[in-house]
Amino acid sequence: MVDVSQHELVPEHTVLEDDTLEEVLEEYDIDRTDLPKIQRKDPALPDEAEIGDVIKIVRDSRTTEQAIIYRLVVE
Amino acid sequence: MTNVHYNVDDDTIAVVEDTDLPRRLKDEVYETLEAREGATVEEADELAKAVESRYLDTRVDPLDPVGTVSAQSIGEPGTQLTMNTFHYAGVAEIDVTQGLPRLIELVDARKTPDTPMMTVYLEGEYATEREKAHEVVWNIEATKILALGDVSTNVADMRVQIALNEDTLEERMISAEEVAGIIEDSLGVKTVQQGTQIEFGPEEPSYRDLLQLVEELREITFKGIEEVSRVVIRREELEDGEEFVLYTEGSAFGDALEIEGVDASRTTCNNIHEIHRNLGIEAAREAIIEETNNTLAEQGLDDVNVRHLMLVADMMTNRGEIESIGRHGISGSKESVLARAAFEVTVNHLLNAAIHGEVDDLDGVTENVIVGKPIKLGTGDVDLRMGSTTSGNSQAD
Repeated sequence: MVDVSQHELVPEHTVLEDDTLEEVLEEYDIDRTDLPKIQRKDPALPDEAEIGDVIKIVRDSRTTEQAIIYRLVVE
Repeated sequence: MTNVHYNVDDDTIAVVEDTDLPRRLKDEVYETLEAREGATVEEADELAKAVESRYLDTRVDPLDPVGTVSAQSIGEPGTQLTMNTFHYAGVAEIDVTQGLPRLIELVDARKTPDTPMMTVYLEGEYATEREKAHEVVWNIEATKILALGDVSTNVADMRVQIALNEDTLEERMISAEEVAGIIEDSLGVKTVQQGTQIEFGPEEPSYRDLLQLVEELREITFKGIEEVSRVVIRREELEDGEEFVLYTEGSAFGDALEIEGVDASRTTCNNIHEIHRNLGIEAAREAIIEETNNTLAEQGLDDVNVRHLMLVADMMTNRGEIESIGRHGISGSKESVLARAAFEVTVNHLLNAAIHGEVDDLDGVTENVIVGKPIKLGTGDVDLRMGSTTSGNSQAD
């Protein structure tokens, strides 16, 4: 099987811990359902990710050094 | 404190790091200071402050209609794109849809592009040796029977006869036995194979069945990926030496990644759905930006700011799957009935909304334009009140 995370188009995906998630939601003043989504079957998802988890994605940004965004795992 | 690799003194670092600038701009400030040796800390501070104020000026203001600005910024240069499906024989003689048709294809999120293609990078010695690279080519390019030998029909005996070419078989690394086996499996006939000769025919003598068999025989893919009709091999210059890169007509991204010798970390294709399926939504977002940007750049319109394209890609991938811009995608999934009706197929939306008793909360822009209320953008979202105190201080809410 091909290791998807090695591809240059795929940024780093990690599952976000609950307490850091609280901070993030507070900072943006949103609910977790307001976050962009990622599908459960997404090949880049870490194996341990479950529906309802929030994934932290660190992109190499075109406009700044790194951009951190979050996606909610959905069905 | 962050590491600074520039030849500037600590005080200068302190004043630059103190600003509200992103990393890259800070680095550029350092570079400039380094180039102008002997800049005092005061001068450095002045420079950093000037850059910072310019940076803060150019940031998007709260309540700016970024979507509308993006639409205009992509739409205007879009009028200068080539209108007809102009096939461009740029990279290695492979036709690729360019210009406006390609841009439309991308934002419409078509299931398959008009001209699917892959750019296959190779790893290790496959990338440096032509022989090895060719091995990968034969594993990707679909090999049909006509590439392997001659097919003739013997009507008198009701037999199909294939004379395979020995050199081609060796070159494409497939044996006559394998060819015969594949024919048996896919056509369900008994074959007689002797050396490079293969013979078979219909069970019952029937002229129609015989012709049918020949037709089906031509369709069989003996080796490689069925979707890929042609592979072009090209030698490309690198910083340290050169490597072979394959360009394919037709694409099957998932299959190609599995093939030995293919560099699964760089190989890409121009079908954003295939990228989504195999690499995930984030890679698809990158691919949308990359493809739209290249399409514009190809036509000399690369001065479109990449942030507009990033916004488009963000919207298209927001729900974890690729949605098109338009009534089947983003515009069609808007909450507001009036906003949807204002876009396309007005009557259908209004009729369905009436049947289902939908309610419009008038939160968005379009619906407020329709009913003639101020929109919640820019100054439209801010309530101003004159101060009533005599001291002249006015207050803003």
